[in-house]
Amino acid sequence: MKRVLIVDDAATVRMYHRGVLESRGFAVEEALNGIEALEKALETPFDLLLVDVNMPRLDGLGFLKEMRRQQIPQPPAIMVSTEAAARDEMAACHAGANCYLVKPVRPLQLLAHARLMLGEANQ
Amino acid sequence: MALVRTKTAGEDAGRAGQAGAAALPEAADCVDLADGLESAEASVRRHAAKEILRCPNAGAALVSRLKREQDIAVRAAILTTLIRLDDPAATAELAGCLRSEDVALRNEAIEALGVLAGTGDRAGAVPPVLASLLADADPDVRIFAVNVMGSMAHPDVERWLIQVIESDAHLNVCATALDLLCEVGTEASIDSLVRIKVRFAAEAFIQFAADLALKRIGEI
Repeated sequence: MKRVLIVDDAATVRMYHRGVLESRGFAVEEALNGIEALEKALETPFDLLLVDVNMPRLDGLGFLKEMRRQQIPQPPAIMVSTEAAARDEMAACHAGANCYLVKPVRPLQLLAHARLMLGEANQ
Repeated sequence: MALVRTKTAGEDAGRAGQAGAAALPEAADCVDLADGLESAEASVRRHAAKEILRCPNAGAALVSRLKREQDIAVRAAILTTLIRLDDPAATAELAGCLRSEDVALRNEAIEALGVLAGTGDRAGAVPPVLASLLADADPDVRIFAVNVMGSMAHPDVERWLIQVIESDAHLNVCATALDLLCEVGTEASIDSLVRIKVRFAAEAFIQFAADLALKRIGEI
């Protein structure tokens, strides 16, 4: 079972993404911000990260950069943010994200990208 | 250490009402403090950020420095002073930080604005800085305005969130407000939650978030 870490300060968004992913057999853990996500990533490896850009304490970009700085092995990362914040897309790529989705992410869109990132696109 | 002179209550009345009834620094000291904000040494900048509170144009100088400051302790001192200052012009400058590409700066501005907008006797009305942000043409700024509400301890937050989901045309602005209504919503939100489900009938996330808020309100 593939393990996904959802990192988002919005509880509703975490629940929504969790529901979508768990309905297709993913095991999901949650973190409210980059600091919490770092702690979880240090504890145990994940197969995929689903990370919001704007978060308090440590934002999504800072989280990915900190993973790299601490040499924590980084799985594929999907960055999510709001439409107008697509200006963050370049910064997300620079920080190590593999793809960038605009909120609200539709269920099929999320599953398709998750599978693509995990190399399961044809399964 | 800067020299200070004692002023009469009348002389102090203009600014001391907001920043506390203490002596104003001499003009020369204010110049030194403004220079101190630009010092190469973080400890000097931090000291200046604390002491500049009662100098003219302190708010503008502080926000200007905040936009460039990398030292966490200095940033914290600047934000603390801006909150103590509670100056409308400085607050408006701080609101401008929501347009920054610097995510950490945006987050710090959101938290500080939450404190600033949530203080004072402004019963009922949306605080001016928040009203301005909610009317901004940039949906990201409106989303950050909703985030500001999330950091406020104010009894009218729910009513302002209802205004957002009733009137804002942007999906993600409404989605952000819905997320907060899931926490603070009461029976007063029910009609608006039902209406937003109709308005964004094709959006799965809006349906999910509105249903969640309605469920939680039903459990109150």
